[in-house]
Amino acid sequence: MPFHVIKRDSCPLSKKILYYVIAIVIALLIGAAILAAIGVNPLSYYFNMATMGMVGNRIAYKAFENYLKVFVPLVLTSVALSFAFKMRFWNIGGEGQFIMGSLAAAFVAFKFGPVLPQPLTLLLMCVGAVVVAGVYGCFVAALKVKFGTNETLLTLMLNYIALYIIIYFANTAGDWNIFLNPNSARTTFGSFAEYASWPGIPIGRFTLNICVIFTIIICIIAHIYLKRTKHGYEIAVVGDSPNSARYAGMNVGKIIVRTVFLSAALIGLAAAFKVGTAGILSTAITGNVGWTGVIVAWLAKLSTGGIFIVSALISILNYGSTVAASTFGAVDANFANMLQGMILFAVLVADFFCRFRLVRTEKAVPAAAAVKADAPEAAEIPAAPAEAEIPADAAEAAAQAGEEVSNEQ
Amino acid sequence: MKKRILALLLSCAMVVGLAACGGGSSDNGGGAADNGSAPAPAAEDAESAGEAGSTDLADLTVGAIYINGKNDTAGYTYQHSNGIITAMRNLGMDVDSQLYVVDYVEEDYDAVCQAIDTLVGEGCDIIFGISFGYLDAFNDKAAEYPDVIFSHGTGYLCNDTNFNNYFGRAYQARYLAGIVAGLKSLEEGNNNIGYVAAFGTEYAETASGINGFAMGVRAVNPDATIYVKELGAWGDEPNEYAFAEELINSYNCCVISQHCDSAQAMIAAADAGVYGCGYNSDMTEDAPTAVLTSAVWHWDVYYQTAIEAAAACGGDASQFVTQMGGPAYYAGLAEGFVGYAPLNEAIAPANAQAYLDAVSDLIISGEWDVFSGTALSFEEAEDGTVTVVQTPADLVDNEGNVIVEAGGPSVEDSVITGTMDWFVEGVQDVAG
Repeated sequence: MPFHVIKRDSCPLSKKILYYVIAIVIALLIGAAILAAIGVNPLSYYFNMATMGMVGNRIAYKAFENYLKVFVPLVLTSVALSFAFKMRFWNIGGEGQFIMGSLAAAFVAFKFGPVLPQPLTLLLMCVGAVVVAGVYGCFVAALKVKFGTNETLLTLMLNYIALYIIIYFANTAGDWNIFLNPNSARTTFGSFAEYASWPGIPIGRFTLNICVIFTIIICIIAHIYLKRTKHGYEIAVVGDSPNSARYAGMNVGKIIVRTVFLSAALIGLAAAFKVGTAGILSTAITGNVGWTGVIVAWLAKLSTGGIFIVSALISILNYGSTVAASTFGAVDANFANMLQGMILFAVLVADFFCRFRLVRTEKAVPAAAAVKADAPEAAEIPAAPAEAEIPADAAEAAAQAGEEVSNEQ
Repeated sequence: MKKRILALLLSCAMVVGLAACGGGSSDNGGGAADNGSAPAPAAEDAESAGEAGSTDLADLTVGAIYINGKNDTAGYTYQHSNGIITAMRNLGMDVDSQLYVVDYVEEDYDAVCQAIDTLVGEGCDIIFGISFGYLDAFNDKAAEYPDVIFSHGTGYLCNDTNFNNYFGRAYQARYLAGIVAGLKSLEEGNNNIGYVAAFGTEYAETASGINGFAMGVRAVNPDATIYVKELGAWGDEPNEYAFAEELINSYNCCVISQHCDSAQAMIAAADAGVYGCGYNSDMTEDAPTAVLTSAVWHWDVYYQTAIEAAAACGGDASQFVTQMGGPAYYAGLAEGFVGYAPLNEAIAPANAQAYLDAVSDLIISGEWDVFSGTALSFEEAEDGTVTVVQTPADLVDNEGNVIVEAGGPSVEDSVITGTMDWFVEGVQDVAG
């Protein structure tokens, strides 16, 4: 290999922005070339995508409501994942935790919706989703603490268990199956919208779902929790070095289990928001947020404010692509997904070059020695080189798994 | 610090965005108080109604929601997409500018609602949905957007104004294909007939196809048995081939019929040197040495009727159901919505056309329907003339339950409502 990779000491913001802009421009240019080749005007396609078709749309307020429906679960899930990631606990089980949370919320809605007042039902849906999703996540943490199991594998595999549980409920008729529509000859999920549905604040014809406000408040609380509280400090220390944390007298196992519970519980809450807004279950209820959330959290460098912005942008990309695809006969949803993937991939590459740089290998200098020479602080904190590698792997694994799931469907 | 400023900017942008949405819509709608009657479109209605009473087809925008891709080249979505495009071209419409499609939409209430919002936002006047599981979303959205026409395929929900459903009597075409298969089995002296089906009794769509076909077979060959093997999926090419192969090898079937997306079952029949009856489109080209005929859909027949009715509404979507003559379009052989592909002369049983003509006439005239308490039998004269004999007989399922008493009316509705969850006698379900 004539080149090797070296960690950068620092990367000025102007340079970072430049890298991101170059990456996105390259992705868009490739996309434009393909669009032009299939006879679609790239400019009008991109305009449609970036504006989510809201320009000249007679129900633009509706488009914005739908955009927020994509945004809310994504930002909450990403924030939740950042809790675990800060501790270097690679929770890529967001999908499974989201599904278990949705099932719990829907169960509460069907069971108690008809007898309890609506606000209480909604509250209980949140509690149910938070507890079930939290437990589904934190027992992996308990296994890791007790037996040193690999959380990446376990959370990943639990995703599929949860997915097949919800598919089982979707396809199995029976009196016990309260999730189904009793009036349909074919098995379809039933609606509980009349019992439990998140209220909205009307602004003109636009309705601001109350979950959006809750989400903003939760993000602020999460930010304060991570930056300003003892718990937040403990998470940071465990993330930097579990041994230092132990040396400082922290109960590392307890911190891990507690934080992973919070992470999974918050994903459960996102599920309760989503289910309570839709008023019905679906086997595609997650909208892939468990996967996308990994990418969002990582692009945002696990900062809560950053996650808010990245989620907003990725939601535009996500929702805008679908809308733009509907306008052009030659562009189907698969093409829109491919373009989305290209842009995300380009941004990840830019992110890589903000952290690392390629250096021509002079002679037979061992790469490891070079890393140490260039980044002396790496020696002090043993886990530092892993910081970039493992999450990049996790993000990749998540992206691949996400693709597999969408391919299956 | 910089991040905080960014966050602040973003939230400001969102607030401005909200204000703009709210403001813009109240400008269009002339205030929130009277938006129940959707004033803006109403004004257009008055204009167009004043001019002609019907919308020019060039001003009509069509929307569609597909379960698979709009660029598919075979299969269920392709059949619909092709039908809509053919209908629009026949009507002189420009597909590129007048058709909006959201594809790969799963049977997920929220996703369908979102797709409908997108199409309504694009200004679609009529929106078609092709998959059964879209029905609740279509039902709710039809109430939310009374100025847009909604048309849902394979479902049963509807209203009296802007929302109808449509489906075809494919079982009539199946019955005719069954007659051809039955005649072939007599010629071959082999009473075993195979059927590769996506599903069995859990979908009325598949059950009615199997039953229609089986009754056609047994009208000419009462000793025949129809062995059904279920895929558990609408499309599964390797198994479509393998299941057909198994029916031929293990059950000694001499004719294979199918209800699945590709022509693999027909190709398997050709490879094994037996015969087949295709489905969806004419499959003769795929397996010229095997396919006797195919039961086919002509979706463009419906789409053209519906688009013309939408135009005739003159912008008043509530007139759609009236223009269509009712909320459920359930057409068959008589309207040309379903039919059979031309017989493959080289291998088709002798005189099959005479049988098909005689039964077609009977169905088209409305005198007789497949799922009634009247059974058909045939008398073939020396000169090849075929006479149909109608005999009152119980319609019995394969467990011996009487579905329709002798002479009773057809239970054709059960195909749409999804209550046809039985196999007619002569059908044998082979574990998959």
